[in-house]
Amino acid sequence: MDNATLIGLYRDMWLIRAFEQGLEREFEKGNVPGMLHTGLGQEAVQAALAWHLKATDAFFPDHRCHGINALAQHRHRGDGERVMAELFGRSTGVCSGKGGSLHSADPRVGNFGDNAVEGSYMATVLGVALAAKLRSQPNVACAIIGDGTVGRGEFHESLNMAAIWDLPVLYACVNNGYAISMPVGDGHASADIVDMVQGYGFESRQLDGNDIIEAWTGVKEAVEHIRSGAGPYFLEFKTWRWQGIFAGEFRPEAEVKYWKEERDPIMLAGEALAGRGMDQAKLDAIEQETTDLIEEWIAFAKDSPEPDPAKATANVYVGWEVASR
Amino acid sequence: MTAADTAAPKREARTPRKARDRVRKVAFTRALNDALNLAMAKHDEMFVIGEDIAEMGGDFGVTKGLLAKYGPERVRDTPLSEAAIIGTCAGAAMVGMRPVAEIMFADFIAECYDQVVNNVAKMHYMFDGQFKAPLVIRTACGGGFGGGPHHSQSVEGWFLNVPGIVIVAPSNPVDAKGLLLASIDSDDPVLFLEHKALYRSRAEVPPEYYTTPLGQAAIAREGSDVTVVAAMRMVPMALEAAEEAADAGVSVEVVDLRTIRPYDAETVLASAAKTGRVVVANEAPKIGGLGAELSARISEECFSDLKGPVVRVDGLDTPIPFSVPLEDVVLPDAQDIGAAVSTAAQY
Ligand SMILES: Cc1ncc(C[n+]2csc(CCOP(=O)(O)OP(=O)(O)O)c2C)c(N)n1
Ligand SMILES: [Mg+2]
Repeated sequence: MDNATLIGLYRDMWLIRAFEQGLEREFEKGNVPGMLHTGLGQEAVQAALAWHLKATDAFFPDHRCHGINALAQHRHRGDGERVMAELFGRSTGVCSGKGGSLHSADPRVGNFGDNAVEGSYMATVLGVALAAKLRSQPNVACAIIGDGTVGRGEFHESLNMAAIWDLPVLYACVNNGYAISMPVGDGHASADIVDMVQGYGFESRQLDGNDIIEAWTGVKEAVEHIRSGAGPYFLEFKTWRWQGIFAGEFRPEAEVKYWKEERDPIMLAGEALAGRGMDQAKLDAIEQETTDLIEEWIAFAKDSPEPDPAKATANVYVGWEVASR
Repeated sequence: MTAADTAAPKREARTPRKARDRVRKVAFTRALNDALNLAMAKHDEMFVIGEDIAEMGGDFGVTKGLLAKYGPERVRDTPLSEAAIIGTCAGAAMVGMRPVAEIMFADFIAECYDQVVNNVAKMHYMFDGQFKAPLVIRTACGGGFGGGPHHSQSVEGWFLNVPGIVIVAPSNPVDAKGLLLASIDSDDPVLFLEHKALYRSRAEVPPEYYTTPLGQAAIAREGSDVTVVAAMRMVPMALEAAEEAADAGVSVEVVDLRTIRPYDAETVLASAAKTGRVVVANEAPKIGGLGAELSARISEECFSDLKGPVVRVDGLDTPIPFSVPLEDVVLPDAQDIGAAVSTAAQY
């Protein structure tokens, strides 16, 4: 990987981190309604995926994907602040406040929307991929899922169907060790998801999700494979989420310390850049710039008007109006 | 007041006038097959998908011949993966295709209920219009043939409480064809219910392309004393009961809903207000179903016009038993509707 790419990814990861940390702060202040799941600690996976997916591809983000949503929005439309505004439930949000954290979408940047029923889009992704195949478009349809989703029936229906139809699907499984409180090895036949996937007969690989170079390279190869028409590809990213559960931290102290202090993907990328001769001041400047940008986005979200209550009944159907109260 | 049932269709009716001149008697299944054929020719980006629908033509033969004509890319067999079938349709619809799924028996929709309820039905709303879901889910529903608990259910009630879905429910071959073509044209997701007991019914069906508007009920028989509101198989039963009532001097109006959601409240309420005596007939269990909704709505909005309470005819509050004499007890029939009409006529 060349220096410019690594610096770009470092910046992208910082954008995600600043986004999530800013959001967490606002959530704690009571400014963000609903529930909040953050992608802190998993920035490398999201930055790697966002880098290789084009606006003409499709990705289905999971509940920790504010980062990739924001990156795609920022990169392809220059209005990442609208992802923030959606989280604040404002009229300027990408779904005008109807979706929020768990249903943020914008097809113009390839964001096909989260579905808060974890893993349901494992089925939906098939249709987007099939359409690309029928239309002979070199597009990738990507489902980003947690390890918890591996327990869903749709997970298996999807892998099977993608295999028999050779669909251009990229499965990006973020194995962060737990589904809420359930350790991955307790919930599934194998703690290594790729082992379970192998029987479906298409390419699969396990990657270090905290090593941006490995993640980026792995996604690059998978996307090239899919674009060449060679069929589906399954990537498992081994990583760890900084967020515990709603009740707080439940994981052993040593584990928390290890992942936050020794395996922080941004810290590791910073060390790699320093090893390549990049000076600390430049790295600090990237952190500052992205943090400033996110503060602008937060201000934009806060200053944006709430949705017009009359819009509550809009867009239920295409062909019918729905009466208001 | 609930939202969807007050909805008014934006589209205008198109009546197949010229078509009426050249007619033939064809079965309900054949009328549906005709519709699929015509729609495949009209929409390049339409495909049909389901279990055993390609070479075999589906359990009921509705997709027969499509594979030979349109090829395996557009006529797709799947494994037993109901969620993946609907997911595939939803995803393809998100990027502008027009898929038609067959779920072999409506009972199996439980396998893809999440896809329909949480994804397909909500997609246009939760992403605020950025995606449409112009897909059709065809499925064989209803009892009366000894299908037992998992092949006989009337599932419309499962979806009545789901904003965003359109439920279409034809009672005869002519409507079946026109409604299916309209459903495929629709930019909203349609659950298209095909009552198995109607599959063999025959009628003169215009051979060419025509659509029957969604969201519009039909007056299947005009009358002045009692209104019977029905859908699917309850319609021919209501017509039979109406015939018998006529012999007894009671004039029955039969309203065929045709679309169950959003339903044509205007026609239903106008008929109820006109006769002042109403029977609602529904094959599914009584509690929380279509009959409950219609009865509540009519009572709410036509109270001063009603001469007595709405009389409900429903299935019993049981699963559908296998043995035919047991099933006969559980499912309502023309006699039950007739008895309800007599009760209402006394008001
Ligand atoms: C079908 C379904 N079941 C349960 C939930 C509740 N739920 C939300 S997140 C979650 C755990 C998901 O774990 P994982 O996929 O590993 O993602 P992580 O939060 O670890 O990133 C659960 C059970 C849900 N949203 N959807
Ligand atoms: Mg997890």
